[in-house]
Amino acid sequence: MHPSSEYRPGLPEQNDNVSHNHPLKEFAVLLSGVTAFLLLAAWSLGLLVDWAASFISPEMEAVIFSSMRFSGAALFVQQKDDPRRAELQRLVDELGRCNEVGYPLQVNMAQSKDANAFAFPGGRIIVLEGLLDTMRSENGLSFVLAHEMAHFKHRDHLRGMGRGLVFTALSALLTGAGSDITQLVAPALGVGQARYSQEREALADKLALETLHCFYGHVGGATEFFEAMQEESGKQGRGIGGYFASHPEAVQRIDALRSLAAASGFTVRETFRLSTVLVPDTSSQ
Amino acid sequence: MDALIQLIFFLTLLTLGYVFGKIAEKKHYRSIIEREKQWMQIPTTSGRRVLGTDREVKRVQLATGSVVISVDYFKRILAGLRNIFGGNVQSYETLVDRARREAVLRMKESCPQADQIINLRLETASISKGNKNQIGSVEVLAYGTAVYLYPASTAATSP
Repeated sequence: MHPSSEYRPGLPEQNDNVSHNHPLKEFAVLLSGVTAFLLLAAWSLGLLVDWAASFISPEMEAVIFSSMRFSGAALFVQQKDDPRRAELQRLVDELGRCNEVGYPLQVNMAQSKDANAFAFPGGRIIVLEGLLDTMRSENGLSFVLAHEMAHFKHRDHLRGMGRGLVFTALSALLTGAGSDITQLVAPALGVGQARYSQEREALADKLALETLHCFYGHVGGATEFFEAMQEESGKQGRGIGGYFASHPEAVQRIDALRSLAAASGFTVRETFRLSTVLVPDTSSQ
Repeated sequence: MDALIQLIFFLTLLTLGYVFGKIAEKKHYRSIIEREKQWMQIPTTSGRRVLGTDREVKRVQLATGSVVISVDYFKRILAGLRNIFGGNVQSYETLVDRARREAVLRMKESCPQADQIINLRLETASISKGNKNQIGSVEVLAYGTAVYLYPASTAATSP
């Protein structure tokens, strides 16, 4: 049939140019390798951060962060003469007798409708105005302040910052390798980060409860803030999002505080009303 | 939570890529194998001379066939992971294999009356250059010389 005797038509029996391994298997092996490596790296770098944080003295911390300007810093300065700020400062100073942080803490206020407070490096506690609208008793407010003070005592603000750096560095490393893979592995890192953060929050709650007991002789008002939070967020749980949250769920924190108080034999008594200076003046607004 | 939404989005793309990529690949391979059997009768070589025949060459012609094939999302991610560890990028093997065979088939189909194709060459070009991580496509161009012969003067000489 063919003009040429040199040519024998035929096809190879099998294709040797492609591998016949299952791609899903390869995917699973490679992905678990990357994830394991990153979790190990994040974990060991996190321990290094904790170790390094213990070496940063309050003086050094003040030097490092004194030049740092936080966004919205102008807001804080304007409120220097605010009587509310002075009252909060007095409360923090008095709470310091029960929870010696080791260096001066400065309270600042920030304009925000949110009820929250933050611990910033350099011994700065930022109280959002919304917190004063939410709190009913001085004990409840003291608990929130004591919680932020506990973060300073535990050096959580430095640990948090250091871990943030590790997280960013690892993400950047992944982005260099291919940004799509970041999306796949980042949640694993995020869950690890959130777990650590929630653990630190629980520890701060514990110390704040002890401070409250030392200061007032009872722990009334400890759960006030979380109860208000729970009311605001409604009854439904956070679902799977809870694994990525930096703070434990309000209801969990209330339960933890109650069982802790019961275990330590702390009692709950009548709370003090919020100082009139701190009660928001609705008539002038 | 943001990370979670991103993950769900990503996993959806990955699953879609895997399922549709697999279907497309299977379908393509079925077509390739069938057409290769059909076009096997045109001798195609990379040699420079016409395969031994006593028939005279009537005319020659340039024959080309080219194809552009893209990888699916799943394969691209798999290759990205492979990039970290090194080794054979197995997920891209079928991509180039399909592209080469399809290009040769298209070349043959462009000159169905040819008696032979000689001087077969294959060229590969990546379409994704300069647009990193956006498209992973490959172009394969197959070209050769289609040879048309005069009918045999005596049928007896042919085996």
